Amino acid sequence: MKILYSWLADYIENPPAPEVLAAKLGRVGLKVEELRKTGASFSGVCVGRIDKIDKHPNADKLSLVDVHDGKAVMRVVCGAKNIAVGQKIPFAKVGAVLAEGELQKAKIRGVESEGMICSAGELGLEGYDNSGILVLPADLEPGMDAAALFPKSDYAMEVEMLPNQAHCLSHYALAREFCLFYGLKMRDVRIFTGEAAGQVVPVEIKVPDLCPRYGAIVLKGVKGVRTPEWMAARLRAIGCNPKGNLLIDGSNYVMYELGQPTHCFDIAKLGGPKIIVRKALAGEMLKTLDNQDLKLDPGMMVIADASKPAALAGVMGGLDTAVSEETDAILIESARFHPPTVRLASKATGIKSESSYRFERGTDPELPLRAARRLAGLILEAAPGASVQQITDNCPVAYQPPVIDVDPARVNAILGTGIADGEIYACLRAFQPDLKDARPWKFTVPSYRQDIESAWDVAEEVARYIGYDVIPSASNMPMRPSTVSPLWTVTTELRNTLAALGFSEVYNYDFSSAKELKACGLEPEAALEVKNPLSSDYQYLRPTLLSGLLKTLRYNLNRGRETALLFEAGTAYARRDAGKSEEIYCAGLAYGPVPEGGSWQGGSAAADFYCLKGVMNRLFTGKGGFRYEKPKKAPAYFQPGHCLEMRLGGGSAGFLGKLAPAVCAAADFKDNNIFYFEIPLSCLAAAGKTEFWQKIAKIKPVSAFPQNWRDLSVILEEKHEWAELERSFSGVQDLHSARLVDVYKGKNIPAGNRSLTVRFTFSSMEKTLNDAEVGARMTAILDKLTKNFGARLRA
Amino acid sequence: MNATEWKEKLSAIRDSFSVSIGQKPAENPEALELRFLGRKGELALLLRDLKDIPLEERKPLGALGNSAKTEMEARLAELKGAAPAASAAAAPGLDLTLPGAPFPRGSLHPLTHTMNRLADGFLKLGFTMSDGPLVEDDYHNFEALNFPPFHPARDMQDTFYVDAKDQNGKGMLLRTHTSPVQIRALEKAQPPLRVFHTGRVFRSEAVDASHSFAFHQIEGLYVDKGVSMADLKWTVDAFMKDLFGSGVKTRFNPSYFPFVEPGAEVDMSCVFCKSGAGRCPVCKGTGWLEVMGAGVVHPNVLKACNCDPEKWSGFAFGAGIERFAMLLYGISDMRMLYENDLRVLKQVV
Repeated sequence: MKILYSWLADYIENPPAPEVLAAKLGRVGLKVEELRKTGASFSGVCVGRIDKIDKHPNADKLSLVDVHDGKAVMRVVCGAKNIAVGQKIPFAKVGAVLAEGELQKAKIRGVESEGMICSAGELGLEGYDNSGILVLPADLEPGMDAAALFPKSDYAMEVEMLPNQAHCLSHYALAREFCLFYGLKMRDVRIFTGEAAGQVVPVEIKVPDLCPRYGAIVLKGVKGVRTPEWMAARLRAIGCNPKGNLLIDGSNYVMYELGQPTHCFDIAKLGGPKIIVRKALAGEMLKTLDNQDLKLDPGMMVIADASKPAALAGVMGGLDTAVSEETDAILIESARFHPPTVRLASKATGIKSESSYRFERGTDPELPLRAARRLAGLILEAAPGASVQQITDNCPVAYQPPVIDVDPARVNAILGTGIADGEIYACLRAFQPDLKDARPWKFTVPSYRQDIESAWDVAEEVARYIGYDVIPSASNMPMRPSTVSPLWTVTTELRNTLAALGFSEVYNYDFSSAKELKACGLEPEAALEVKNPLSSDYQYLRPTLLSGLLKTLRYNLNRGRETALLFEAGTAYARRDAGKSEEIYCAGLAYGPVPEGGSWQGGSAAADFYCLKGVMNRLFTGKGGFRYEKPKKAPAYFQPGHCLEMRLGGGSAGFLGKLAPAVCAAADFKDNNIFYFEIPLSCLAAAGKTEFWQKIAKIKPVSAFPQNWRDLSVILEEKHEWAELERSFSGVQDLHSARLVDVYKGKNIPAGNRSLTVRFTFSSMEKTLNDAEVGARMTAILDKLTKNFGARLRA
Repeated sequence: MNATEWKEKLSAIRDSFSVSIGQKPAENPEALELRFLGRKGELALLLRDLKDIPLEERKPLGALGNSAKTEMEARLAELKGAAPAASAAAAPGLDLTLPGAPFPRGSLHPLTHTMNRLADGFLKLGFTMSDGPLVEDDYHNFEALNFPPFHPARDMQDTFYVDAKDQNGKGMLLRTHTSPVQIRALEKAQPPLRVFHTGRVFRSEAVDASHSFAFHQIEGLYVDKGVSMADLKWTVDAFMKDLFGSGVKTRFNPSYFPFVEPGAEVDMSCVFCKSGAGRCPVCKGTGWLEVMGAGVVHPNVLKACNCDPEKWSGFAFGAGIERFAMLLYGISDMRMLYENDLRVLKQVV
C-alpha cells in the first residue's frame, strides 16, 4: 500500500522523521519496502531566462551565460551542453539550498559565477532527465519561485500489507497503529457532526447477515463540486488519478484516509428513491462503472433501487446510477459487507477493486457512518450551497465486540516470557483505555481489530507492544532421537555415487509441454494436466524425467560441450485420481566421449551401453537380488533390443538403454548415441528401511594359499550370450572367478562367430592347487563350453 | 617369466647399457647398437618374451620397453654425433608437471548441497524427517492450516490446480508450501513429535531473478506440552548458529502466516558484510537478512489434527532453500539454479 508521509503525519502529534518512522513500523510487523523522497525540497531557486551565451575564456567545455532572473542579468559559468538562448531554466542564486547543500560564491577557471543553472539532480528531483540542465516550460515568467513548479517535498512509502492487517489499510489506521505501539498521541480527523431528520431515500436490508450495517447520507445541491488541489495532489502522490469531481475523488480520499470504502449514487438516476440491499436474482444484469456488462448470480449481493441492481455490493458501482458533472443530489453509501460474499463476487466477476480488497479483509464495524460523515463534510466544505437531507445508520445486526478473558500467565506461557502483569495490563490499556484491573481482565477487542480472537492473538499483540526482543532465546526441550526417511537415505546414496562417477546433478521443472512428451513417444493425454498452466510449455506434469534431461543436454551441447553425464532425482507424475500419482525417480543420461576431454596418455571413447551398465553396477553394488533382465515391455523412448530392465528382488528397478532414434531426432540431436537410465526409488526405499547393521554383508574368509589362473580363448557362435556362458561355470570346483578379458571378431574368426577370452582364477581353502589339478578343472570347463555351446579352442 | 621378473630384467639391461655407453673412451656405437638394439639384441629378445605375460599386464610393460628403446636410441645417436657425454646426465627426466590421469568428477546441485546442510541442522536438533506428496488436496494445503475458504490469505500463494480429484471429489493442487506435511505428520502420530520436511513447492508466479514457479522449502514442527515462543527462538538461533557460526545473531519481527500465532519473520545478522557499514550489497547496508518464517502453532491447526490446544502447544519454522543457496553461493539470479549449465554446476564441489 502506498502511504504518503505528510498525510500520515497529519494524524500523529510530533511525528518522527520518515526514516525513523519506517524502521519503527518494520519492528511492529509493518514492513516498509520502499521509502522514496518525492517533490521539491530546494529553496532560493527561481525561473531564469538565458539571454546570451559566450565561450569561457579559459575552458573549452564551459560557457559564460547571461541569465535574467526577472530583475537583473547575472553572469554564470555553465558546463551543460543543452543550453540555448531564450530557454527558461531553474536558476539558483548564491545562498540557495540545493540537494548537496547551500550554494556558495565560486570562481570557476578564473571567472566569477553569480549563481548556477541547475539540473534535476542538483535540485534533488527524481524522475526527470538528468543528462543536462533542467529545461522549464517556455511560458514561465522569469523571477517566479521554481519550487512552486513541483510537488512539495515529501516521502512516499510502500508498506507491505499482510492479509491480517485489515486494520491498517489507510493513512489514519496506520497512524493509529503506530501511535498505539509507540505511545504517541493521535490527531483526529475533522468529522461532520450535523444532523438531518429526513428520510428521503429509505434503505431496506434484506440480507442482514451479509450486510449488518448500511450508513446513508443524502446531500442536495452538490452540482459541479470540484476537488480541492490539496486533495488532488495527495491522490496523485499515491498513484490514484484524481478526476476533478469531488463526488468521485472525495470518496477515494476517504477510503485512503479512513479505510472505509464509500460510494455515491446519483439519486436522480435511481429507479425510484429507495435502496434495497439484497441478493442478485438469477439472470440480472449490471453495467459497471468500468463499462462491463456483468451477468449476476444469486450468490452475489447487490445494492438495488426499487427495480434493478445499482451496484455489486462492495466490488463496484453501476454506470447507470453513477455521479457526473450534472449530479445534484447524491446518496453516500458507507456499509459493512460480509467478507467472503464480497470475495466470491470479486473472484466470479474478475473485478478486483480497492473497495473489494478492503471488504474481503474485513472492515471496521463502527466505521461506516463516521466515514460517510467525513465524506459529506468534505463535500459541504467545497459546496457551501449544499444541504444535508438525510443521515441514517441502518444497523439490523448490532455489533457486539468480542470480550477475551486475559490471564497474564497464559500470555507468558505462549511467549515463554516472564513479563510482569503490570506490563501486560499496560499493553491492553493501550488498546482499551477503560479496561478495569479486575481478574480475569475482560479485554474488549477494538472494533477495528477483527483479527483478534483468542489468547494467542492477545499474546502476539503483547509481544508486538513490548517488542519481540522481549522473548528470550531459552529452552529446556527434551532430547529426541531423529531419523531420516528411507527414501532420503537411498536418494542421497545414489546422488553421491553418481557424482563420484562423474555425473552432474541437474534440477529441472516438473512441467512439460505436449510437444516434449510426444517427442519422448508419450501420449500427453495420459499425463497429469495443470488446469491453469503459466503457458503451454508447462501444461503437463512430467511422467518421466527424460524430457527435462534432454533439454539440459541440448542446452549444454549448444554451449560448446561435447560430453554430458547428467542425472536428476525428482518426481514423475501419473494421471490417477485420489491415489498415489507420484513416484520419485533417479534418472540420467550419458553422451559423448568419456572421460571428458580425454588424456594426453590416451584418448577417450564415446559413452555406450556398457559404460552406463558399468555405472548401474556400481549403483547397485551390495544390493541383494540385483540382476538385469530383457524387458517384457520397456518405455517407448528406448530403442528395442538396446534396453535392459533392472530387477531388485521381486520388483522392477527401472531401465537402462539407448534412446530410440525417433526420440533423438524429435529432440533435434544429430546422432542417436544417447544412453539413458531411470530408477524408481521406491524399489530401493524398501531396502532403506532395513536397519543399517542388517544390510551389512558379513566378510567372507579368504584362502591362505596362492591362487592360480588360466586364460581360455574359445570361438563360438554369436547367438550364445555371455550371461549363458557365465551361468554354466557355476559348480566348477575351486573356481574363484571367471572374468571376460577379450571379445574378438574379424580376421581368422568365421562369420557369425566370435572369440571370447576368459580368465579363470582358482583358489582352494585347503591347499595350493598344482598344475594337474588346475588343468583338470580347465578341461572340465572347455568340455562344458563345447557341449553346451559348440565352442572350440582358439588356436 | 612374470611381470616383476620382466621389469627387473629390463632394468638390468638399461643399467648395463648405461655402464657400457658411459665408459671412457666409449665403446664403438655400432657394436653397442648391435648388442642392445639389434634384431637379436638383449632388448629385442626381452620384448619378444612379452607374449608370455598376461594380456592386461602386457600393455604397460610394452610401453616401458619402448621408452627404454627410445632412450637408448637417443643416447646412441648422441654418441655417434660425438656430442659430449656429460649431456646424458643433464637429459630431462619425467616432466612431473604433466597433467595427472583424468578421473573427472561430477557434481551435486547447489540446491542439494544446501538442502543436505539444512536437513543436517534439523537432524542435530532432534527433528525426524517426514514426507508428504507434491500433488495435495485443498484440506492439507490450506484448510487444516487455517486458511479458511474465501480467506484473502489464500492470495499469498497463487496455486496451480491439476486435473485430478481427491477422495471427496474435490480438485487437487500442487502444494504451495511444505506446511501440509505438518498436518500429515500430526495425523500420523499424536504429540509429542518433532519433525521436519524438505522438498519442492509450486506457486503460479512469473519467473524472475527472485521468483520461480517451482522452488524448495524446509520446515520443522515441534508439538509437546508447554512449548513456547522462547523455545522457538532458541531453536532457530541454534539452527542458524550451526549454519553460520556462533557469531551470527537472529532477531524476530512480527509477521503473519495463517498457521501460526504469534507469527514472526526471522532476520539473521549479515555475515557477508565486508565492505564496511552501509555498503554491503547482500544486506543492502541494513545489517540484517530475512531468512525464515516462524511462529507458535495456531490453535486451529492443532484442533484440525484432533490435538487439544489447551493441552498441547508447538512451534513451526521454515525457510526457502533457494534463498540460502543464493546467499551461500553468491547467486543473484534464481534462474541460474534451473538453467543446468554444466559450466556453473561443475563449480560446485
